[in-house]
Amino acid sequence: MNGCEDKTASIERWLDGELSGAESESLRAHLAACAECSEARRRLEKLQSALTGVLLAEAQRVDFAPFRRAVQLRVNEKRPWHQEALDWMHDAFPVSRAAWVVPALIVLLLAVVSLESYLPGWRGAGRNAFATVDSIDAYGRNVALLREYDTKTTVIWLYQDQEGENEGAEETAPAGPAF
Amino acid sequence: MKVLKKLPLRVLLFSLLAMLAVAVTVTAQKQPQNFEVRIGAILASNQSDEFDARLKGLEKQLRVLKYRSYRLLTDKSENIPWKGSKVFEIPGGRSLMVAPQEFQDNRIGLQVRLTEGQKPLLDTTVRIANKGNFILGGPPHEGGVLVLSISAAVQ
Repeated sequence: MNGCEDKTASIERWLDGELSGAESESLRAHLAACAECSEARRRLEKLQSALTGVLLAEAQRVDFAPFRRAVQLRVNEKRPWHQEALDWMHDAFPVSRAAWVVPALIVLLLAVVSLESYLPGWRGAGRNAFATVDSIDAYGRNVALLREYDTKTTVIWLYQDQEGENEGAEETAPAGPAF
Repeated sequence: MKVLKKLPLRVLLFSLLAMLAVAVTVTAQKQPQNFEVRIGAILASNQSDEFDARLKGLEKQLRVLKYRSYRLLTDKSENIPWKGSKVFEIPGGRSLMVAPQEFQDNRIGLQVRLTEGQKPLLDTTVRIANKGNFILGGPPHEGGVLVLSISAAVQ
């Protein structure tokens, strides 16, 4: 067995068809010259043949039908819609592609901001049509504020008290708001 | 595969550039140079059923007020520079000072001060839509009341 200790593993791999062409040629040449390795090969072939025979005999007694049916069932099984949708999403938008959503949203924001500054009022007049009153100082006089929704009208109305400061004035003003 | 490996870096760079563009756009929002302010002085009364045909555009808004007659007394329009102000003479010896304060989100901030001689009647700050208006009314005038339509537009 001089130099043949590692040949047993090679013979097993050769019998399983795992050796490359060059390795097979080299082993074949060695087997032709080495009686001990040739004997080892015969033993291994015999063992393999015996094992194959036993396994085939055992396999014939095993009922594979339920296994095949289960596999067929899994193959034909209709998957839930959300699972299908998730799979489609994964295929259509892999993480690397989904990352573009961030800059896309920023560009969208940019577009909205730009539209507002270059095309003022593009979102429609209704949204901002109402006048809003931030502050009113009527210097002690009565003041009424009306916001009329149909016509989007804001009215600031000054009116005099019944006992107002202008009661001596020539012109008479209404004693209350005119709406 | 090479492109895919470089993708996150590209996304990052693109995002940064886009954010920079947003920042530049937001800060560079153009401020208007001039505002056109228009003051319509209207006499509202119950002395007749006359409705001045020149007020057709304001009819719906004026009908909010419960008067029967509306007549346009004066209609003045002035250009006011950014941060400037203008005084409009109003019938009845009154005057109306209008000062555009800001322009944001397509709305104009106006400071409005109504005076009668030297006596202040009203001081208000109102934000109206660009090309929009609001109504200021109540001062007595010729047996009725004075109604002012104050509108502004960016130029």
